[in-house]
This record gives sequence, structure tokens and C-alpha cells, in this order.
Amino acid sequence: MKISTFNIGMPKLCIPQKLLLVVKITVLLFFVAVMHVSASSYAQNINLSATNAPLKKLFKEIRKQSGYNFIYTEGMMKDTRPVNIHVSNASIDVILDKVFHDQPLSYTISNNTIVIKEKDNQQTSNAIITITGTVKDEKGEPLPGVTVAVEGIANATSTDYNGKYTIKADGKQTLVFSFIGYKTVKRPINNESLINISLEPAARDLTEVVVVGYGTQKRSDITGAVASVPKSRLSELPVTNVLQALEGAVAGVTITNTSSVPGAVPGSIVRGQNSISAGTGPYVVVDGIPLSKTGGSLNDINPNDIASMEILKDASAVAIYGTNGSNGVILITTKRGNSGKPVIRYSGYAGIENLAHILEPRDPASFIQKYADYLSQTGQTQTSPVPNSSELPNYKAGKTIDWVKEATQQGVMQDHNLSVSGGSPDVKYFISGDYMKQKGVVKGYQYNRVSIRSNLDVNVTNFLTVGMSSFLSNNNYDGGRANLLFATAMSPYGNLYNADGTYTIYPMAPELLYTNPLLGLTTDQVNRSVNLNGNGYAEIKFGGVLKGLKYRVNAGYTYLPTRVDSYSGRLANTPLGSASAASSETTAYTIENLLYYNRDIGKHHFDFTGLYSAQRRRYFTSTASATGFVNDELSFNNIGAGATQTSSSYSDRYALNSQMARVNYSYNSRYLFTVTARRDGSSVFGANTTKYGVFPSAALGWNISQENFLKDSKIVNNLKLRASYGKTGNEAVGIYQTITTDGAVRSPFNGVSTIGVQASNLGNANLHWETTVGTNLGADFSLFNSRINGSVDAYKTRTYGLLLQRGLPLITGYSKVWDNIGKVANKGIEVTLGTKNIDGRDFRWESNIVYAINRNKIVDLYGDGKDDIGNRWFIGKPISVIYDYKMTGVWQTGEDASKQDPGAKPGDLKFADTNGDGKITADDRVIQGQTTPKWTGGITNTFHYKQFNLSIFIQTAQGMLKNNADLNYADESGRRNTPAAIEYWTPSNGNNSFQSLSYTNTRGYGYPRDASYTRIKDVTFSYVVPQVLLDKAHINGLTFYVSGRNLHTFTKWIGWDPENNYSTRGSGDWTNNYPTTRTFVFGANISLK
Amino acid sequence: MKKYSMIVASVSVLIIAFASCKKSYLAEKPYSSYTPLTLNDSLGFEAAAVGLYNYESTILTYSSAQGWPSVWQVGTDVANATANQQGIEVPYYNYSLLTSQDPAATYIWGKYYALINNANIIIKAVEDPSNTKLTAKGKNMIDAEAKFFRAYAYNSLATLFGKVPLVTAPLAAPKTDFVRAPLDQVNNLIISDLTFASANLSDLNAGTAKLNVQGKPVDRANKYMAMQLLAEAYLRMGKNDLAEQQAQVVISSGKFSLISSRYGVRASGAGDYYSDMFVYGNQRRSQGNSEAIWVIEQENPSSVVGGNTDAAQQRRVWGAAYYNISGMVLCDSLGGRSIARLRLSNWVLYGLYPTGDLRNSQYSIKRRYYINNPTAANYGQQVPFTGPDTLYKICPSITKWGAFDPNDTFGYAMIKDFMMMRLGETYLLLAEAQVKQSKTAEAANTINVLRTRAKAPLVTASQMTLDFVLDERARELIGEENRRMTLMRTGTLVDRALRLNSNDAQHPTAGLAAKNLLLPIPLSEIQLNKDAVLEQNPGY
Repeated sequence: MKISTFNIGMPKLCIPQKLLLVVKITVLLFFVAVMHVSASSYAQNINLSATNAPLKKLFKEIRKQSGYNFIYTEGMMKDTRPVNIHVSNASIDVILDKVFHDQPLSYTISNNTIVIKEKDNQQTSNAIITITGTVKDEKGEPLPGVTVAVEGIANATSTDYNGKYTIKADGKQTLVFSFIGYKTVKRPINNESLINISLEPAARDLTEVVVVGYGTQKRSDITGAVASVPKSRLSELPVTNVLQALEGAVAGVTITNTSSVPGAVPGSIVRGQNSISAGTGPYVVVDGIPLSKTGGSLNDINPNDIASMEILKDASAVAIYGTNGSNGVILITTKRGNSGKPVIRYSGYAGIENLAHILEPRDPASFIQKYADYLSQTGQTQTSPVPNSSELPNYKAGKTIDWVKEATQQGVMQDHNLSVSGGSPDVKYFISGDYMKQKGVVKGYQYNRVSIRSNLDVNVTNFLTVGMSSFLSNNNYDGGRANLLFATAMSPYGNLYNADGTYTIYPMAPELLYTNPLLGLTTDQVNRSVNLNGNGYAEIKFGGVLKGLKYRVNAGYTYLPTRVDSYSGRLANTPLGSASAASSETTAYTIENLLYYNRDIGKHHFDFTGLYSAQRRRYFTSTASATGFVNDELSFNNIGAGATQTSSSYSDRYALNSQMARVNYSYNSRYLFTVTARRDGSSVFGANTTKYGVFPSAALGWNISQENFLKDSKIVNNLKLRASYGKTGNEAVGIYQTITTDGAVRSPFNGVSTIGVQASNLGNANLHWETTVGTNLGADFSLFNSRINGSVDAYKTRTYGLLLQRGLPLITGYSKVWDNIGKVANKGIEVTLGTKNIDGRDFRWESNIVYAINRNKIVDLYGDGKDDIGNRWFIGKPISVIYDYKMTGVWQTGEDASKQDPGAKPGDLKFADTNGDGKITADDRVIQGQTTPKWTGGITNTFHYKQFNLSIFIQTAQGMLKNNADLNYADESGRRNTPAAIEYWTPSNGNNSFQSLSYTNTRGYGYPRDASYTRIKDVTFSYVVPQVLLDKAHINGLTFYVSGRNLHTFTKWIGWDPENNYSTRGSGDWTNNYPTTRTFVFGANISLK
Repeated sequence: MKKYSMIVASVSVLIIAFASCKKSYLAEKPYSSYTPLTLNDSLGFEAAAVGLYNYESTILTYSSAQGWPSVWQVGTDVANATANQQGIEVPYYNYSLLTSQDPAATYIWGKYYALINNANIIIKAVEDPSNTKLTAKGKNMIDAEAKFFRAYAYNSLATLFGKVPLVTAPLAAPKTDFVRAPLDQVNNLIISDLTFASANLSDLNAGTAKLNVQGKPVDRANKYMAMQLLAEAYLRMGKNDLAEQQAQVVISSGKFSLISSRYGVRASGAGDYYSDMFVYGNQRRSQGNSEAIWVIEQENPSSVVGGNTDAAQQRRVWGAAYYNISGMVLCDSLGGRSIARLRLSNWVLYGLYPTGDLRNSQYSIKRRYYINNPTAANYGQQVPFTGPDTLYKICPSITKWGAFDPNDTFGYAMIKDFMMMRLGETYLLLAEAQVKQSKTAEAANTINVLRTRAKAPLVTASQMTLDFVLDERARELIGEENRRMTLMRTGTLVDRALRLNSNDAQHPTAGLAAKNLLLPIPLSEIQLNKDAVLEQNPGY
């Protein structure tokens, strides 16, 4: 990776400007469009306020203000109704629409005259015809339950399970198609008898129902910060874990793919890191039952099964999850059946994967040169052109090996999903099966998953509903893996094979530091986990005086066995043979009793939710292993045949007991209040505490657009202000951290292993949860005929009682003890914007923009106001920072280093003397930046032309530093190959960015570099086959698409990828050295009648 | 309505069922860890005692800082760091860098206090009169073992740091108000613990029995370990007569004898009887090492589970990096793969041993290497000394830590026993006690016992000085003894290191001063001990 090729991208500061430009242009376009509309109507605006006024009186008033004349007969007035109207500064057509609403009259405007007619006359003058058709969603899938109505009259029907409808209407009338969550479509009949319609999802439809935890709410009634994942991110993307689809797509949710290993789960942070020791991942709840803390992972949830996904972000929204809420909550709802005939759907894709970017090792000539330079720079005489004797024959024969090529392969990815859904009004079902397989780009890596889901809802009686959601997932990560880290280290003249065709152990013998990168392929590795999950519910609706009261019980049970087996034998440099087999079993249950009550009294609406729940998880794991096998025949299938046996087991238990109450109150849908309180008791808290914590919150919402002064605004379609304040917790303490324990050890006596015990953990029985107090201010808006929708949120949180391991004098016999001490603060702004830039009949262009900025800082650590340099924690700075020397260049020949850095040679790194004491010491280290992005963003542009759709998603993360391990191989730089892009200093080139080959980095400098990047993340092009073609084939819907992922990355980073973490030899886990891949897939979604 | 009442009733039952969640629902019981409360019978105490040996072993086998063994040797009179140094040893030859934040000082401080804590847990529990699960004799056996280790830790701390906080009971809660106890108090605890230990620890059976008199494995603590340690502690305290007495008891016990003929697993191979003692398989009393007083065993974990506690670095530190020489392959007779993080000082290599001294034979100090790869053109020829080769690639080095595992040629860990105490050293402690009491004739006799065994010229009373005894310690115990602690204990570090070994070509000793006779109290300890002042040693 040369810097030059990566500079194609804008310098990082230009990115937001560019985004801004797009926004500006979009806004401008809308103003033009809106102004055009205004110009075509009458310029003069009218104020009208009347109660129970006769129509004629209003006509008079309108004429007075506007100068329009009315033409009508007295007879027409006899069936009219008196009118209530309160409108200020409105256009004539708004006024007339309101005045004529529900009147048996219609009107037309001609010049300055309004001609009034009777409606009945119109209708009887035309023929009634029968219209049929199919309503589909934006993907071409049939939509059941869509309301189809004739405009202006009370004639309506709804679509069946196949999206079909039949309605009778006058051929000159207009049909109105409406469905919750979708944009309403008006279609003039024009005497056509077949009308097929596609509905577009309404990005922020106010009637959209949003899952908010222990229930649902209308989008317009929500008072907290709740982000819905755009539906477009939930399908047609080649992702194996739904979080991969969220990266850059939801404001305030930072997803990081630290590893691209097939089956790896990305890291996720909601609204900044607010814990130091605890995990930062959000709490995940699927269909009401927690997935987090049951042992499951999001890999267990098939993305195809997900109907909707919400992220709760502010204290008010997450407080109902108490001690598990402070990292945010992800709520996933899976698809469920609708009543009607079965709908069979298939969706699948297949495609290829390749390395998105290769950090090319040096070619043979450059490798030879580097070795010569290394010897001269370290003052050694060169006796051989290559470092090791075993490389010499290949060198003489001119035989070279491209080790990266040997260790990698073309990846293949495919996913097939078949589902059936349907039901009667009383029994609804959704059944889905999925097979996903990913063959990795590095040899030996693979991931496959089989998942089955069955969701069922049964109305047993008119007051009792029962149902279940169950799924089984089998994740398979089997396979011995090639070592890409070693592949990049190999000499091009190394030996891949022995004479007998087996892999050499040491390709660069007698160099023993690096073994053959392909040895792993000769090992046997089984790595599987199954998640078997059964969740059921029963819901009782009460009647009579108890009307509005509902009781629901949710019960979920998870059984999660895993199995990890491995065998490494002679071929893999394990001369004695070593086998191990580990299995674990997690069982967890959740039982929730929920009581709901809602009641309307006039314009007052009350909504109460009460919860009593219990959750328990038990875990057990055991491992058997042995070394010393006669030969490698038996692999791990007979561990008893190994000479030396070891085994281990571990078990623990976790329990949570909770109560929660929530009250929503709204007045006239204008003023909204939410008050919640949760009380959580967790087993992990110390025995000296009550083990219970209480987490209250309150929130307000104001639907300003419902107020009279905005009610009829053409510009503001919707505007809501929200404010919330609340307290949440983070359980943070691990199991058994509060207890003083002894560990078992072994020591040999007379050659016999003997068990001993030692003091291990000093428990702290006072430990409790971390507490986060947060404030959120937000606004949701919809402007210019809903062509701009969005929300803006600003938040501030402070977390205290942070769990840190407080250092103890070693004199105590212990080095540290857990304690609730530190404080951390987060604040940030999140913007989500959806715009319809062009909204034509055939061509449409929409943009979706998210932007989030977070500022994180440590407020206090140990109560003494002191930094913890050892852990790189600094008060007033973000939790994860780079604290290091500041590199200013490289010492050049002739420069005098003796004063500032005695002992530094030309070619050594030159550091800034930041404290000005004339010497480079550990005190010259400074904070250079944070390792989490300062801001993240994403923009999706979607273009529709007739049946074609193109969606381009660009994602960016800016303002973070990361240590670049590839810049320093220290004393190994002469012994291994190095990346061609990592240059080195020589006396003649005077390089000022890279060190010489003799530099060994005795200061432990980490080489922090800017890891900001902008990525063309996903491009999806799809074609929806027209219905006329499908009808003949009895297909109800068919969409084809091609999708490309990680198409290009703009970054200054020199390495495989700025997002991935790579281990160096002897540290970390080499199996995570797996580069970001570029994927192309072809997919189809079919639904059958 | 009847239906409803049924439902309401059943719902109430459900709610009550969960509302009545027992308090124990949230109680924690660790399923997979013991707690101190559960270890109060003989098996529990036995296991806790074994934990002490394990702990001491982890100090020796520490591998996170690979230069750890060098800390105790470089910058003294016997050795210097090479170009292959790791880092932790740097302040121990460049003493200007030896500050209160020194990682080695902090590590050893922490390890010994943790060992003390483990011993205190046992002592407190076993001396608890309400515990009737053990007999008084059984209690004393365990108590003595714990007290031996407590005294061992305190003696090391007192040698290295001088006055140290005295903790004699385990802590139940964090404590941050420690103060340094007067050295006399520390010494008195050491004396009383070791006096108790030597009275109550097991005696040894004669010969190579695998068990001691109490029926425990022979490498568990015995009374002679307590006596030898007490002898050394008395020497440090200046109670030379008492030291002499203790050393004499060990020697005259008749349980030990100096190795003076070939034996064991290499009896018929190339070598001599002195070097036989350091061959793995020969090191333990039960394996024929009649000199062994205290041996900490290690076993290859590929054959004995839990055979080692960490990846001991002694072989890699002490051995030459001959594998770096073209034409040399790793082999058993050369001691496996080493990287020479230290090199013996020229004083040891070229000035210490008299001609004929067995302890300087090629089987104990390897000085010449021969190309051993049969396919090499110069096979069998001596490796020439050029460039940095003598400084670490084929530097002359001791064979005491050599070990080779054909199944693990890279050999990150060294699998070898640690000979903590042997009779050879008892004679040296005795000689030191005698010299310090001006009993030079007796001292010469004592030294001559070792010299006779080593086939070295005998000495006379006029040669007997403390310096001579320290020279003889180097000759006899090079690579075995913690040289730094010996010189700190005798107050001779500054003089000897500067006089005998101050101008090494690679890493000369610099900045060594009288203050270095004690290590700095770790700064982190002073800071974390926020409720009392933990006084720093002078000069740091």
C-alpha cells in the first residue's frame, strides 16, 4: 500500500464538508420544488376562525379576504354541515379543503371563481368498475393488510396474504393505498381494472410502531432516543452478523470490525465508552428475551429473520433495563406470520470474496537488498546473499515463493433462506430455515451456520393469546487455519515443502522463530456452538371494568452447548502429538410477568407497564487433553490414548431478579410524559450490599406540529421535541469478584504432581453496579411535504462508581482489589437525516445521512485526582488514548544526537523533547489522541428508476489513532520479510519517516498513526421483475440484485486495513490476522403464490 | 366472569410464585474455587503447604521478563549482561538507572510478601485453638513448614531491603498503613520461626529414600533446611558463633555427604563427578545426590501434569547462543538452545580457578565449540573466535543449567530441578562463620574439604579472609547461588564488583555506590500505602 494510492481520498477534514455540501444541495432542491408548488397556487393567504359556522357565512368571509367569488345554488346548501375552523395565514386550497371536508359538495376553481357542485351528481355520472391488483413493498414482496380505499368515500378493503385486493369504484375516482410504516399512495383509476402498486417505506412515518422494550409505541409518542435500523440495512447485504450491516448506518452506534475472520462478531459501542473494566457492548434482547447474558451471541440470529431492530440510547429508553442498560440496548424483533394463505419465500445469494487490500511483502530483489542493508546497518559482514542456509539452493536456482498467495485463496460466500408464513385469523405462523456458508480468503478459515426459526401466534379465545418464538442455530467455525502472520514473514526463498511433499516445519531453517504458515492446515480443529432457544408467551386481555388491562407472561429457555476440539501432530511441529476436547453447556431461563393497562379519558391517555422478572444462567465447561500419542492417526478421537492427561472444568451461576414500572401519559397526542423505574437485584453484587439497585427516569415530549399554529403548516409536517433524564446501571462486576477465593495449583514431588492451593482473589463484598446518569435533548422533524425527515439528539452522561482494580500495597499479599471508584463522562450529538432529493414518477433519488460525534473523558479514577499512567488513563482525557513519545523524524547522518538522545545512531527514530529538559525520557511521552473515532458517519444514496434500484452506502470513521505494529519488527527486521510499503532508512536515502533496519525500539514506541478511513461499504443494484411477467409464471414477486461490499477504502493508514487489529509474533492471537475482504454477491428474492 | 376470576386467580398465583423469590436466589457460591473457609482439615493444610513450594518455584521460573535470572548476577563480580540482554537487568549494571520504580525490585518484593501472606494464612488457621481437626503434632508439622517459608521470605527481604514491614497475620480487608519494622524485630521473627521449624520439621532417612521420616516426599521441608537458612541468617545478623553452630549440626548430622564419585543417569558418559550433580535426573537426594538439602523439582509438563510453574529462563540466560553459528545444530551435549543474556566475567573465566580445579573442567564450563552439523564442510573443526562470537554466541559458559528436550528443541522453558541448598554451601557458610570469628585454621580445614573434592590445591589458614571465602563461593556455586544477595548480605557488593569486574567490553558496571547494598523500596508501595509513611532506603 503506497501512500500515494491512498491519497485519492479527500483529506479527512474535507469529508464533512462534502457531506455538508450534499445536504445543502438537497435542501436547495427542495426549496425550488416547494416554491414551484406555491407559485402555482394563489398567492393570497387567509385567516379563518369560526365555530359551528354555516357554510354560506364562511364563503362570505373567504370572499372578503381573497376576492374569490363562489357560484352555487341555495338547494346545494340544505345538506351541508356547520364548520369548525381555526386557520391562520393559510392558502386558499388549504382553507377550501378544510371547509369542504365531509360536505356533500365538491368545488373547482376557475380564474377567481369557485364553482360548487354536488358530489352525488358527479359519481352517478360515471360507471362503477371492479378493480383488482397486487400491492407490494419496495422489494417486490407482497404486502398483506394494506388498506385500499376510494378517495373521498367510505369504501375500503384490504389486501390479502398475497397482497391482492378487489374493490369497486368509479373509473374516474382515485384509490388510496395506506399501510402502517409505508408511504400512502394515491392512484387515479383512469378506468383501469388492474392496478398494481408498490409501497415505499416511510422513513419516519409517525404511525410507525416502534419496539421500545416490554412493549411498543407509536413513533410519534416516543419520548426517548430510540433509533430504528433502516429496513434497507436488513436485507440484500452479504453479512453474517447483523451488526456488520449497522456500521455507519445508525447514529450513535459505533461498530468496529476488529477482525474479519469468518464468524467474528464486530465490536459495538452505543454513545461512547462509559465503563473502563466492563464490556462496552449493548444489551441485546430478541423478541423480548435477553440474548446477552444467556451465553448467546448475535451470530445466533439469522439476519434474514429480523423484521425490525431498534436501538435504545438515552437514559429514559434504557432505564427499563436497569443494571444492564447503560451501554444501550438493542431490541430485535423477528418476523411473524399474517393471516391468509401461505406465502413461501426464498431469498439467497452467492458470491466471491477476495482480500480487499494486500500489504505486499517485499519481492525477492528487494528482500535480498534489505538483508544486505540489514547486515551493513548492524555492522555485520555478509557471507551469504540470504539470511539462512536453507534458502541458498532456491536463491541459486532462482526459485521463489509468493507466500501470501500460498496462504490465501478465493473466498466463497453463500446464503439460502426459505420461509413460509401465513395462518388464519386465529393461528399465524412463520417458519424459516437458513444455510449460510463462508469459505475464507485465508486457507482453512470457514464459517457456516444452519438456523431454523418457528414463530407462532394463537388466539385461543377472544381474551387469550399464546405463542412462541423458537430458534436453533448451529455455528460452525471448524478448520485448521493457515497463519497469515507467518506467511508475511517468510523469505521468498524459503522452502514450502519437504522432499516427501509434506510441509516443512521451518521454511527458513535454521531460523526457528517462524514456522511454516501452512502447518495449521495439518491440524484438526472443531469449533461449534449451538443455540437452542424456546420462548413462549401467553397474553390475557381483560374486559368489563378491567377493560384496558392485559397480563402477559414471557418465558424463555436457552440451551447452548459448544464444542472445541483440536489435534496437532507431527506434521504441525508437535512431535508428541497433542489433543484436546472441550465442551461447555450454558442453560439460561428468563421469566417475565407483565401487566399492561391503558385507558383514554377524553384527551388524556394513560399507559402503564409493570414487570416482575427472574433470570438465571448456569454454565459448565470441561476440557480433556493429552499429549504423547503413538502416532497421529486418532486425532482427538481417543484422548485416552495419550500419555499425559490433563483435564479441567469450571462452573458458575448468575441470577437477576427485577421489577419495573413505566407510565406513559399523553394529552391530546401533544404533550407526552414517560416515567419509569426499575429495581434490579443481581447475584454478582457483593454480599455486604442489598444486591438491589433502583434506576428511575423521566422524559417529556412535545408534538409541536400538533399545535394549532403549526397544524396546517406546509413546511413543517411534523416536529417533536424530546427531553429525558434518568439513571441506568452497568452490572460490570464479573461473577464471583466479590468473594475471596483460593486457586488450585500443582507442584511435583518425586515426579508426582501434587495439588496445592494458594490465595488468589481478594474479594470485595461491597461491590455494586456502575451508575450512569444521563440527559438527552432531541427533536424529530419532517419538513417540506416530508421530503426531509430526521432527528437530532444531544446527550450528556456521567458514569460513577466505575469498577476499577485499585492497586494495593503488595505488602498485603495482593496487588489489587476491585472497587467502585472512577467517574467517566460522555457527551455527543447525533443527526439522522432522510431526504427525498428527486421524487419523480419514474426516477427517484433518496439520501439517508447519519452523523454522530462523541466526546468521552475520564473525570476521576481513584479519588485522588491522579492519572494512572500504567494503564494509560488520564483524567480529563478519553478512556482509550495513545500516550507515547512524539516521533519527529529520523536521526540523519551528521546530526548530533548526543545531547538529546545519547546513544542514538543515524537511522534511529527521533523524538520530541516535549518537556524541554534536553533529554528524551519517559516523561516526554504525551497524549497524542484517542483510539475511538471522534466522529462517525454514513450516507446512503438510493436511486430508483422504474424497476431498477441502486443503493450506495459510504461509511466513515474519523479522528482516531491506532498503533501500527507493521511499522516495527525491531530485532526481527533482518530475520523476516517485511512489507514493501514499510520503507527503511539508509544513509543514502535519508528517509525521515522510517527507521533503519538496526533500530530495535528500546523505548517501546508504539508507532501510533492516523487510522481514519472512509469506505465505500456497500453498493447494491437490484431489479424488481414487473408483475405482468410474473403472473404468467405464478410467481408473486421476484427481485434480483448484485451487491458489493468494502469496494474501496480511503485512508492514510499503511497496513492491511485501519479497522482490523493485527497481532505481532509472540503477542495476541495470530488467528485474528485476517484482512478485510471485498465481497461480490448475486442474489434473488422470490415469493410464491 | 367465572372464567376471568379463574384467570385472575392463576395469574396471582404466578406472580406470588415469583414474588416469593428466595434471598438465596441471588446468593453467590463459587463452584470452582476454594475459599479460605473450606481449607481447615489436614488435606486442606497439606494442599496449602504445597502451594508455598509452588509459589517459591514461580519466583525462580518467572519468564515475563526473560532477563530475570541476570538481575542477580550481572554487575556483580561474576557476570555481565551481553548484547542479548532483555531489559530488566539493565539497572543492575548501570546502577544510575536503579530507581524506586525498578521492576525487578518491585517484583521480588511483591512475590515474597505474597509468599508471606500464604504462609500467614496457614499459620493463623493451624494455630487456631478451636480447630480440632488436627492433632497437636500434625499442627506443628504444618506450622513448621509455613514458618520455614515465612522466615525464608523475610530473610530474603531483609537482605535485599533492610527494614521491612512485618506482617504476621493474614489480612481480611485492604490495609494501607504499613510501616517498616526495626531490623531486630524482623530478625527475631526469622530466628523464632526457624528455631520452631528446625525443631518440628521432619528429619531425613539415610540414603536415597523417597520419603522423609514423617513419610512425606523427601523434597518437602526438612529440619536441615531450617538450620542452613538459620546459619545464613545469623551470618547476616553478625551472630557468627550461632551460624557456625547451625552449619556444624547440618554437616555432622551424617545425612549428607559431598559427591566424590560418578553416579546416576550419566555415570558412564563423558563428564566428572562434580558435573554429574547438575545433570537432570541426578539432582535430587532420591536420585543419589547425597549433597542435596533442598531441591525444588521440575518435571516436563508433557509427561507430568503441572510439572513446571512457568518457563524458567536459566538455561537461556546462562548458556551460549551457539545455535547462531553456521554449522552448529542444537544438541543434548551442548545443553540445548540458549541465548546468552549474560556472560561470565573475565575474572571468573581467566582468574578464578587454579589449575586442575574440577569445577572448571570442560564439563562444567564449556569454553570451546566444534562444528557439529555433519553436512557442514568444516564438520568437526573448532569454531573460531571472531567478532561478537565470544561475547555471546560461543562465550564460555557454565553447563549447570544445560537441558535439552528433543521434542521441544526451541525450548522456551528449561526443565531442570533447582538445587536451593546443598552441603557444598554448608561448608562455605561454616567457613564464613569461622573466618568472621578469626578461626582461620578451622576455616582452612573447612575450605579444604571442598578443595579436596574439587582436586584443587589446598589452602592454609593465612589465606583465610572473607574475600577468599567469597571467591571460593564463586568457584563452588557459580550459577547456583544468588550472587547479588551473597554480596549484599556480606556488604561486599560495591568493593568486589568494582574491583573485580567493572570494565566489561559490552556493558561495563557504572554508578555502583554504597546505597546499592540495599534495593529501593518500590515507589508504588510507598504511594499505595497512603495512610502511613513507608520510609525509602537512603539514596533512592
